[in-house]
Amino acid sequence: MVSRFKWLGWLRDHGRIAVESLHYISSRLGTSFLVWLLVGIALALPAGLWILQVNMAEMSADWQGRPGLSVYFKMQTANSQVQDAAVLLGRQDIIDEVVTTSAEEALEEFKSYSGLTGGEGGLGDALTLLDKNPLPASLRAYFVPGAAIGEVEHLINLAQRQPGVAEVVVEKTWLERLHELSRVVSRLGAILGVLFGLGAILVTASSVRLAIEGRLDELRVLKMVGATQGQVRRPFLYFGALYGFGGGVIAAMLISVTLVVIEPPLQSLLGSYQRELNLAGFDPIFLLVLLGLGSVLGIVGAILAVRQRLKDLEIF
Amino acid sequence: MGHIELNHVTKRFDNGHEALSDVSVEFAEGSMTFLTGHSGAGKSTFLKLLLGADIPTRGRVLVNGVNIGAMSQRRLPYYRQNLGVVFQDHHLLSQRTVFENVALPLRVMGMRGREIARRVRASLTRVELLGKEHLFPRHLSTGEQQRVGIARAVVTRPKILLADEPTGNLDPDLSRHIMDLFSRFNQVGSTVIVASHDVSLIEEMGMRILHLEQGRVVSDQPGLNQQAHDPAPDQTDVEET
Ligand SMILES: Nc1ncnc2c1ncn2[C@@H]1O[C@H](COP(=O)(O)OP(=O)(O)OP(=O)(O)O)[C@@H](O)[C@H]1O
Ligand SMILES: [Mg+2]
Repeated sequence: MVSRFKWLGWLRDHGRIAVESLHYISSRLGTSFLVWLLVGIALALPAGLWILQVNMAEMSADWQGRPGLSVYFKMQTANSQVQDAAVLLGRQDIIDEVVTTSAEEALEEFKSYSGLTGGEGGLGDALTLLDKNPLPASLRAYFVPGAAIGEVEHLINLAQRQPGVAEVVVEKTWLERLHELSRVVSRLGAILGVLFGLGAILVTASSVRLAIEGRLDELRVLKMVGATQGQVRRPFLYFGALYGFGGGVIAAMLISVTLVVIEPPLQSLLGSYQRELNLAGFDPIFLLVLLGLGSVLGIVGAILAVRQRLKDLEIF
Repeated sequence: MGHIELNHVTKRFDNGHEALSDVSVEFAEGSMTFLTGHSGAGKSTFLKLLLGADIPTRGRVLVNGVNIGAMSQRRLPYYRQNLGVVFQDHHLLSQRTVFENVALPLRVMGMRGREIARRVRASLTRVELLGKEHLFPRHLSTGEQQRVGIARAVVTRPKILLADEPTGNLDPDLSRHIMDLFSRFNQVGSTVIVASHDVSLIEEMGMRILHLEQGRVVSDQPGLNQQAHDPAPDQTDVEET
């Protein structure tokens, strides 16, 4: 009975303070909005970078684990020579799979590429006017995972000695570069995340500190009438949480606006590589994490402020 | 709850100043005592120790046998919920109505809204302020503000009521009225200690008067209809030899 009363009292107190905190923040919308904006920007940068990184990693996922080399043949090389080379390379231990592209297939592919952006009278149409196919046959040989560099050298020599071979390229595809770039972005995001998270904590800490300063008289009275340390701190932890949560909302808005703005150029960039734009990461779970993270950082900031300011508050 | 005992209490501040020197004194449950002495005699320091707002350098402050000076920060608030405290500058919250000011201790205790309303009204009735509960403190006269402070102190029906210069800047009639409020509160069973240097008023009240001088109890004059208390016996020598 007694403990039930205590629990009820505790809940009542939480409810009352939550309402009071909301009232406090909404009665100072100007200041609150500034705090939200600062926290929001601090959260948006690393969170935005995270989304970028997720998408880059996803786009480069095709490439992941499939490095290989490309062999380009001279013009008018017979298909049989291409097939011979393919079979030879395919027999090598470090080759996983060989895909050949005949000159005709290359032409078809090219037509359909440029057809995407060229339309009537585009490059694709221009090609049909030529009586000879200007594109060479090629093949791509994929390494087995974990192929050693030394063996790759040997393979390049072998490929170059085949009849009809014009050029052997161990290229870094744009996807490969993307993969490396995404690792750079990932690390950058982690560093910025820590720095800007710290920034968010400091912003809420100083805002909560201001709120404490403005209410010192009240806090003294509260302590005098027997408020527990928890009760004295509680409103400020709510402030911190609300500041952080609001910051999370702002960050979500900033990121979604950014995504809308960068979508068209990104679309055309990816479209030229015949890829579909399908931005990942900006989903309900991401939003929940963003808001939760904002709230937690806000509470941490509030705890810092409270610790610093309320530790030895004199009653009188 | 309501029995208070100070046992060879000394309070020395960081700067070396000794505000209380070896004070031993006892307050029976349900008694009323005035604490007097010149400015700087140690009256406020005395009350602070009872509140647990400061801890004695030496000696013990016992309330119903519990050493307040050794109480943990976690338990202290629950102890304070049994106290009523009144200051000279009433410490009211200017942003809150009279009602909310008086309700504060009950809210801290987690009481239900209806019970709070009932108790706050009862308390305001005692100090004759019912009807002003929706005003803000700045709309009240000084005497009324002081009475709101008293209503807040007694709203929890504390076993111990401590007041520090509660009549500091009030006119004689009002001071008398406030002291009467304290004595009425004492009559229903609370232990009351009031620090004041309004000598003529407290002599008029006929209660026990404890006189402090430079941190020492120099006289302990029993109340008219109370049993005599020994003036703080200097037992130091007896105990230490
Ligand atoms: N925190 C402190 N640090 C140093 N000295 C202090 C501190 N608090 C009080 N004192 C000193 O202790 C002595 C007693 O102070 P106290 O406030 O108890 O006096 P008082 O009897 O209440 O005086 P008054 O009637 O003026 O209110 C004073 O000399 C005061 O300067
Ligand atoms: Mg004083």
